[in-house]
Amino acid sequence: MKRTLLAAALLVAMTAYAQPKPPPAWHQGKPPALADSKLAPLPGRMTETPASEIPINKLKLPKGFAVEIWATGMPGGRAMARGDKGKIYLGTRGIGRVYEVTDDGTRRSVRVVVDKLVQPAGVAMHGGSLYVMAINKVLRFDGIEGDPGVAPVDLTDKFDLPPEQHHNWKYIAFGPDGKLYVPFGAPCNICEPPKEYAQIRRYNADGSGKEVIATGVRNTQGFTWHPKTGELWFTDHGRDWMGDKGPEDELNRMTKAGLNFGYPYCHAKGVLDADFKRADGCEGVTLPVSTLGPHAAAMGVIFYTGSMFPKEYQNTMFIARKGSWNRTVKFGFDVVNVRPSKEGKKASVKPFLTGFLEDAKAGKFWGRPAYLLQMPDGALLVSDEQMGAIYRISYVGKK
Amino acid sequence: MLLRFTGRWAWLTALFVSAAGAQSIPERLAQCAACHGAEGVSAISGTPSLAGQPELFMENQLVLIREGVREVAPAMAAALNGVKDADIRALARHFAALKPPPPAGKPDAGTARRARELSRKAHCGSCHLPDFSGRDQIPRLAGQREEYLLEAMRAYRDNRRSGGDTIMAASLYGIADADLQVLARFLARLP
Ligand code: HEC
Ligand code: HEC
Repeated sequence: MKRTLLAAALLVAMTAYAQPKPPPAWHQGKPPALADSKLAPLPGRMTETPASEIPINKLKLPKGFAVEIWATGMPGGRAMARGDKGKIYLGTRGIGRVYEVTDDGTRRSVRVVVDKLVQPAGVAMHGGSLYVMAINKVLRFDGIEGDPGVAPVDLTDKFDLPPEQHHNWKYIAFGPDGKLYVPFGAPCNICEPPKEYAQIRRYNADGSGKEVIATGVRNTQGFTWHPKTGELWFTDHGRDWMGDKGPEDELNRMTKAGLNFGYPYCHAKGVLDADFKRADGCEGVTLPVSTLGPHAAAMGVIFYTGSMFPKEYQNTMFIARKGSWNRTVKFGFDVVNVRPSKEGKKASVKPFLTGFLEDAKAGKFWGRPAYLLQMPDGALLVSDEQMGAIYRISYVGKK
Repeated sequence: MLLRFTGRWAWLTALFVSAAGAQSIPERLAQCAACHGAEGVSAISGTPSLAGQPELFMENQLVLIREGVREVAPAMAAALNGVKDADIRALARHFAALKPPPPAGKPDAGTARRARELSRKAHCGSCHLPDFSGRDQIPRLAGQREEYLLEAMRAYRDNRRSGGDTIMAASLYGIADADLQVLARFLARLP
């Protein structure tokens, strides 16, 4: 019965292609067993949290590492991009702002660069310009580090952004090829995505040369390039409402353009979908290097190349896991150290920064680490979207 | 002459706005009460009751309105001009502590049945809680003004609620006006 309905719905969606209905993002794929669930997305804060209200002492790190509060007063601040002159730009979602953090060596000050945007999560620096990508807008601020009042150039028309909002807030970054990489998430929890979605694209910096380079990507909120091979590695969020066990989030490696990463038929390391069933659903799908935990919300990812941390961390990865909502016992809320094997086919995942989650069963947490940035001195910055703050991790032990 | 008046008005407005920036919490609350009701229970069509709403929900909405991310009636937005985060938290705390509005009577059996069926299918209660009392960032719907609920739902569904939660909007995609009316009638009559 359910499958007939689904097929009928698909047929309707297909025949009505000229006027596509937005796919329901929420209730698709919620099994009857979960019908009485009270799980809901976790609440974010939109007001400033002063440093005195951040329980930084609760954080734990391996021996020899230390963490301090580095900047506060950026509600919703998440992805970070650093300019050549040392200013750091942060994107946000709901609150609609982009922040600029200026470090005078002893303290940090914060100002709002632009506001009233629709989820301007994407920020990237390239050739002295700040690129800001909201769901429906692309802005470029030329020479902003030296010219704080510079008026933005509106590049929106060049980028061909599709209209759906859900999962279409963006992480963006320039690759070693000088191109801008942009994800377009599935506009639903689970659905047959319309052709402009569930993919990663790259563009020339001016928005020309659009190219879809990966498909079957549900919702990637973080990627980076391997320091030696130059390959793209990205995190991807698993779907909701298939239970506490998963399907787990993914760490993927893109060895070449044109690969299919499985959504909506194949998740994690070969888990077939519960609603979009296909016996051959995982055929031709590139499976992840590693899974990253059920509903973990794996976000920012970097390869560590600094000289401050002990040698064993060289070229290993750090990944921030913002933490689960679609799980009765909470999971994540940490930064993990991920060490890929030599051939890059599997990886070990170990907790690195923990202590944000106070009671997994009761769902009690205070912070949500979202993105990472390596500083010139090798220290690691971690943004906390919940507290609107940035923490700094340094190595203070003996090497 | 006209020009001079314009200039004078601009000056007066500036004075009013700067004074607004320096208002005490009780002064602000008196302003809010003019529209939202003395006890946070609104008697004005299109203006929501605030009494008993979750604190974080109001905090977030007040920031979104102040930032111009959620667009509302200009007079409502003006009341938040330049209001600091700390004051926004105090305003939210005040209204959250008030007794929720009384239900607008009892829903008839047909309305209740249909509304529960719709709500079960769209899992409204998973977020808003089964008794629609709301929590954290998710609003209380029980006892809210009927016409306000209806317009709010239409705005989400038709992608007109600027700054709105995208999963919330997606929950209403494809639900017909007649069913939204049933939901609004039902929710306004819940204790
Ligand atoms: C001129 C009348 C007016 C004044 C004054 C006013 N409001 Fe409002 N308020 C409204 C209206 C109308 C809406 C609904 C806006 C909409 O959805 O378009 C609203 C919406 C809100 C909301 C969102 C509620 C929801 O359920 O989504 C909050 C919170 C709020 N007001 C708080 C306040 C506070 C606090 C003050 C005082 C500082 C205040 N308002 C002053 C008219 C007013
Ligand atoms: C994923 C969780 C979720 C689900 C499911 C959900 N809502 Fe909501 N709803 C929210 C959140 C969060 C808000 C306020 C958010 C915002 O726009 O910022 C909201 C706001 C509303 C509002 C506006 C109230 C006000 O005071 O402004 C109405 C009405 C509403 N929801 C009705 C419903 C109905 C009816 C359903 C089921 C068809 C539903 N919601 C399902 C999370 C949800």
